[in-house]
This record gives sequence, structure tokens and C-alpha cells, in this order.
Amino acid sequence: MTMKTTRDVRGVGLAIPRPDGPEKVTGRVQYVADLQPRGLLHAKLLRSPHAHARIVRIDTSRARALAGVRAVLAAADIPELKRKAPTRAHAVLAIDRVVFAGQPVAAVAADELAIAEEALDLIEVVYEVLPAAVDPLQSMQPGAPPVADAGTEADIREALAHSAVAVAKTEAGPAKAVNISQQSRLHRGDAAQGFAQSDLVLEKTYRVPMVHQGYLEPHAVLAEWDRTGFLTLWASTQGSFNTRSEVADVLGLSENQIRVIPVECGGGFGGKIRALCEPITALLARATGRPVRYVMTRREELEAGMPAPQVIIRLRTGVKRDGTLMALEAETVLEAGAFSGTVLTVSAVFLASLYTWPAFDVRGVEVLTHKPSVAAYRAPVAPQTIFAIDSHMQQIARALGLDPVEFRRRHLIVEGDPMANGQPWQSNGAREVLDRIAEHPLWKSRAEWKASGADGRGVRGTGLALGGWLGGLQPTGATVRLNPDGTLSVLTGQVDIAGTNIALAQIAASAYGVDIEKVRITTGDTDTAPVTGLSAGSKTVYTVGAAVLQAAQDARGQTLEIAAAELEASIHDLEIVDGRVIVRGMPDRGITLAQIGKKGNLYMSKTPPVLGVSRPAFSQQAPAFAAQLARIEVDPETGEVTIHDFVIVQDVGRAINPLGVEGQMQGGAVQSLGMALTEALLYDGDGRLMNPSLLDYRKLTAADLPDLETIIVEKPSPSGPFGARGVGEPPIIPAPAAIANAIEDATGARITEAPLTPERIAMALLAASDGIVRP
Amino acid sequence: MPKHPLSCTVNDEAVQTLVQPWETLLEALRERLGLTGPKEGCGTGDCGACTIHLDGKPVASCLMLAVQAGGRAIRTIEGLGRPDALHPLQAAFVRHGAPQCGFCIPGVLMAAAALLAENPRPTHEEIRYGIAGNLCRCTGYTTMITAISEAAAAAAR
Repeated sequence: MTMKTTRDVRGVGLAIPRPDGPEKVTGRVQYVADLQPRGLLHAKLLRSPHAHARIVRIDTSRARALAGVRAVLAAADIPELKRKAPTRAHAVLAIDRVVFAGQPVAAVAADELAIAEEALDLIEVVYEVLPAAVDPLQSMQPGAPPVADAGTEADIREALAHSAVAVAKTEAGPAKAVNISQQSRLHRGDAAQGFAQSDLVLEKTYRVPMVHQGYLEPHAVLAEWDRTGFLTLWASTQGSFNTRSEVADVLGLSENQIRVIPVECGGGFGGKIRALCEPITALLARATGRPVRYVMTRREELEAGMPAPQVIIRLRTGVKRDGTLMALEAETVLEAGAFSGTVLTVSAVFLASLYTWPAFDVRGVEVLTHKPSVAAYRAPVAPQTIFAIDSHMQQIARALGLDPVEFRRRHLIVEGDPMANGQPWQSNGAREVLDRIAEHPLWKSRAEWKASGADGRGVRGTGLALGGWLGGLQPTGATVRLNPDGTLSVLTGQVDIAGTNIALAQIAASAYGVDIEKVRITTGDTDTAPVTGLSAGSKTVYTVGAAVLQAAQDARGQTLEIAAAELEASIHDLEIVDGRVIVRGMPDRGITLAQIGKKGNLYMSKTPPVLGVSRPAFSQQAPAFAAQLARIEVDPETGEVTIHDFVIVQDVGRAINPLGVEGQMQGGAVQSLGMALTEALLYDGDGRLMNPSLLDYRKLTAADLPDLETIIVEKPSPSGPFGARGVGEPPIIPAPAAIANAIEDATGARITEAPLTPERIAMALLAASDGIVRP
Repeated sequence: MPKHPLSCTVNDEAVQTLVQPWETLLEALRERLGLTGPKEGCGTGDCGACTIHLDGKPVASCLMLAVQAGGRAIRTIEGLGRPDALHPLQAAFVRHGAPQCGFCIPGVLMAAAALLAENPRPTHEEIRYGIAGNLCRCTGYTTMITAISEAAAAAAR
């Protein structure tokens, strides 16, 4: 689908700001919490203080009696509620057992937020506290306190919706322990023999804790029913059609009884794909007959949002003295919290697919614990997996005295190589981004940087890492319409969380043949827009962009057909120049786009309106790779890391809008650095979150960071619109490994547990073992 | 409980309203005065999305009671510039593509405007500390710092 930009139009490739900028910088853009319809009620949820408990009794009578309270709901009030809830969304309110601290047990709608809060205090709940499974490794063991009700099915919707690698067949034995909800195994060749023939066997266990996506706008929804039983939801969502389906499923409605209006989304990063608080808000609105708004507090977000899973990877590799790869063996444990739903096979695929291991055996388990259930977080499980495999590659190179870039390059996959799941690697820029970062002056001068720390207080080092994402796929639709004024209207149901609307408009401009100023793009709701997939999986421009491109080409073809009839010329002799269709070489023989648009909009006209339509489905992914480099200084006494420079090199196929692409690269890198350095949801032994505020859950601020350098590499994807690849996910992947590699370069200490806090670094500097076993 | 009268200046206009004694200034601005530019990202003063100017100084409006604003001059993002007449900081933010999801932007801009009022030509380092109380999850801050620096340089010319 690579094609040339129609001659000289202002479209694809322009670095232009998104059109909603002025509305955003003046505070005019409205998010769900800013909507205030007449008769609005405010919702609050009573949440369990215990990670695991039986609900003995709930008494809501005093709360119902409070003036200003319009509805109080407990599980007994909701006939739709079923046991064995397969997802968090289905577990609207706990029935008789709570399975994580923060799980909703009752809900209130009241005239004012303060009244709703007061009502929560008047609800009496008697709990019988039960033992909780808090540590995933213990929760895997037989006899651990059970999390799910027996017979609950594993939830792989996230995997199917998001990653597309999960559709690969994996084999696994039957689950034995009660809290193991999914298993996978990918293997090839004889790993045992490979280890036996190895000169160097390295085994390490890598851990990355649960982290929160950290979007600034907490989950929020506004629900209202009309008198015919039709539900409208104003939602902060990454996919309005998905929200509609999930809510329909939970409430036993048909999709056509629900309209989801996607309101400006204040950040999602994977955390606003799945339904969360929409069903209970809809039920409160039904009970009261009034519009009800629910906005989660930050504390609720941290205690009861849908964070990323904890990932524990035991990784063992065998290589020859000359660096030849022999065998890889791994066990990945993904902690899913109280409900199944992780993308289990991503980890297996990336552990064994990025470098060419002749023999491997990778097992994965998803384990339930009494913690909030997890969801996607920008390239789910990929940063954690690359933390393991890239750290490992770096250590092998170091142990063998090999150049770390050359060692990676030598074993890096190329197009056509089989991935661990047997599927062939598609065309990708892994090698190009690795080469590009290795040429960077900061990498070439790493020895000088290290030496410059010798006379100072800090020790200095440089690290790099390479990671990638395969790219999600989802069928989608788009329309492109020619208006009577000669402008284009593009309509999709795509939620613009990343500046994608301007990129889609640029694609339409170039594919049709008008300047971007002539294109207006709208995100429709589930009643008005063509079916559109999630804004997730680095697939918006790749898939919705392809739909817009085809719809614009369709509209162009219709336009030229009409012009051909009007001009009595062959369609092949026509071109669109400056808003006119002209006969090539005869600029006087033409008709304006406005004239064509008007003809399609006139009473008694015989000219049809121009309406380009496309509704593609997809089968070919476009992997996208990023490499990152960190130049750091470590205080050897306190373990504090200062990042002096940070470079992001990324293959985006074709930068449809370089301004938007750089924004994605920078933002993703800082989330990656947060995972590397500061972020962790910390639980006590009873399963309660110990840091439920943004003071204690530490995200990086402007003062923690240097200016970030972005380098765009463009290796066109054969299948993406104008060669584009996904952009959103690759930049969140490499930093934990890059920082760990830099710390090792600076200090000699290898840290295998994120975040790489001053405490961990200082403690590691006290320890000496390199963990390398030489058989 | 009886509501309290509140008289103050908001975006250069005299305002009188009734507020609950427990109501934060952020709630009063958003729910009573319809100024939804300031956002609640945390409610505990950690994220900076609710930053406004109180007598010219940046404050977290979620940490202050509405009744404490009596007689004071308040400026919100709505009073910094309009879509058709952007403040130079706002224009620079748009030009550099700083707003992504946009939720943090009103707070960052109010912090930046307060910084430039106090220090018209800040270094990048001073800008970093000037907006360190504002969390952003989309941008990585780089475009914001460039935009603030550029707006400061333009004002100095």
C-alpha cells in the first residue's frame, strides 16, 4: 500500500500541530468530569478494605434514609449480576466475597458528591476476613487461598484485542494449582543438549512490579437512560465500540440499546480499553431515572484501577565461548490480580524470537492473586520482557568480552526468520535502529564518559537496549465525503488519544489530492461512526489510516468519474490541482471540487454525492522497533541515578506527522524511564496498597529528566498507509534494560529487579557475585 | 449547614456566589462558576492539574477551601488567553505540539506563566523546576520546556 503523495499537496509528512491545540491550551476542551447536564447526580462506591473476605451482611438502610441520596445499590439489588464473573466489568459489585482491597461492594447516587460520600459512611458491611494470596509465587502453590470461584474461565479478550501474537497456538498442560488461570509453552529444538554443549550458562530472575498506566484523567463516565430503555454513556474510553459491547454483555442489553459517546480522553495507555465503572454508573442511572456521573479519585485509581501485571521471568541461556547462541529456557509468571486477562504469550514470543536461539523452551503462567486485576499498559509485558532478554544479552557480551552491539546484531532476527510461535518475522527496522544508535556520538564516546567520572563524586556509564512491538490488528471503517464547498469530511469512530486525527486527515489529504487545510476529521459515536477498532496496540494509523486512505481514494475515484462526465474527458486524463479537476495539460478545461460537491447536494440534481467508504480487515502486522541510549551518573554512596542524556531511535516506517511521532517517542520513553527508576505499586502482607497517592507512587517530573533526543528512522512497511508503522508502543519498551545496562557499565553491579531505586543500587554495590555459573 | 457567601475576583471580573464550608476552591470554580479548565487529577496537591493563580502566585486549588479565597484575585486558564487571542505561552505550546491528551496542560501553563512573571528569562534547568509540580504522562516534558523557553525569549525581544 506504499504510494506516492499526490503531487504537491500539503499532507503526509508535514510536522503540523493538531487542530484541537487551541481548545486544549485554553481549557475549553471538555472531559467527562466537566459535563454537567440538568438533574445530574453524583456517584460514589463503597470499596472493600480487605483483600479477601466473606461478606456476612450489608445494611444500606441508614444510607438510603439520608436526605439527598437518590439510590443505594448492593449486589442483591442487581438481578443481572452473576457468579464466576469472567472479567472485572462483570463483577459490578461483590456478591458475597471480596477478592481485592478496593473492590466495590455498594454504590450510591446523590444530589451532591459530599452527600454521596457521607452516605458511604452510613452503609454497614460485616466482613469475615479470609487469608489472602498476595505473592504470586506463593499463590501458584497448591493450598493457596483461592481467588476465583471454581469454574471461572480465563479471559483472553485482552490478548485477542490487543496483541495479535496471542492468536498463535501455544501448548500447555492442564492447570494444577487453583490460582493458575492460563498456561503457555513454546519450544523448539533440544534445549537440554544446547545447554550441555554451552561454555557459558547464565541464569537470572528478573522482576518488574505492578505499575499504573498513570493517565492524568481518572476513569470517568456519565450515564443516562431515556424512557424507552435506551442507554447513553459519555465515556473516557480508548474504544467506544468495545465499551458498548462490554457494557451490553454485562447488563444483558443488545448493543443497539446503547450509545457510547467518546468524550475527550485524558490519557489511557491501555488502562481505558476495558469497561470498569460504566456498568455500575449505568445501573445507578437506571435506578434513579437521572443522569449519573462517576469520577474515580486518584486513590481509587491506584488502589482499584487496572494496572500492569507484575512480571517475574527466570531466564537461563547457554552460549559458546565465541558467542554462538545455543539454548534458552525461561519461566514467566504474570500476576493478573483477582481476574484473568493478561497477554500471556507476548512475553514468550519476545524472549525467544528477537535473537536466533536454535533451541528454546519458554513456559508461562498467569497467576491470580488478591489484588486489583490488571489490564494493558502500552506494549503490555514487552518492557518487562525486554528488561530480561536485553539485560541478559548485555551480560553475556560482557562476560565473553564481546562488543555488546556487535553481539546483538550478529544474532538479531531478519525478515522471514521464524518467531517463537512459528510465524515468520515481517519486514522490520530492528537492525536499522540498532545500527543508528550505535553510530551515535554518545555511544562512540562511552569510554571517555566513563573515564570522566573517575575524578568526580559520581561514577558514569552508558547503556543501550533494543525492543519492539509486533503491532495490533482490528477491522475498521472510515468514510470520506466531499462537501459543497470543496472540502473533505473524514469520519471514523477512532478515539484520538495520541494525535492520530491530524495524521488521518493528512493521509486523506494526500490520498485524495487536496491540502490538509481542506480536510476536517470527526470522531463519531457508536450511533454515527463506521465501526472502528480500539485506539490501542500501535494500530490506529496503521489500520484506521489504511481505511481512511482507501476511503479517500474511493472518494477521489468518484470525484473523477463525475468530472469525466462533466468535462467529456477520459478519467485517466484527469488530475486534481488546487481544488480543481482538470484535463492533464489543459488547465483551462476543469471543474472545481466545490462545483462537484454542490451538484451532489442540489434539489433535482442527477449527480450523486461523493462518499468514499472503506471497511478493511487486516492480516499482516508491521513490527516496529526502538532503541534507546542512556548516559548516566550514579552516586556510589546513595545509589542515586542522574540521567544526563537520553536518546530514542525508532523505526516508524513513514512519519505521517513528525511532530506527533516525536511526541509519542518522548512520552513513551518517560513512561519507560518511570518503570525503570521509580514506579511500583507496593503492597503489604495483607494485600493493601501502601502507596495510594501520587506523592508516594512516584512518577517522573520535568526536574528528573534531561531533554530527550529523538531520531526517526523510516523503513517503509510494505502494508501500512504510505509505509507507516505503529508508533505508540515501541518507545516504552527499552528503557528499563537500557538503564540497567548503564548502571552496570558505571558500577559493575547488575540489578535485575525494577524499579532500579537508589536503595537497590546501593545494596547491589555492596554485593559482589556476578551470578554466572560456568559448568 | 448554611452556605457561605464568597466574593472575589475571577479572571478580572467581580464574582459573588454561595459555597459550602467544606468546598474546595477547585470545586467552587468548576461546579459553581463553570470554569472547568482547572482539572482534578489527584485532589491531594501532587499532580498540579488544578493550578491557578491566587493574587498572581501559583497554587493548587484542590488544597484550598473556597471560603479562603474571599477578597482575593483568582486567575484560571480561562483568563490566560482565548482561542482567538492566545497568550504567547499558549501559542508556543500549540506550535510545538505540547498538548497531547491535554488534561495536564491548563495546570502546566499556569505554572509556566507564574514562573515567567517571576523570572522572565529562565534557563531550561529553571523551567524544569518551575513545572516540577505538574505531572504529565503524555509528553515527556521536552516540548513543554522548549515552548516555555521560546515564549520567554520572544517576550524579551
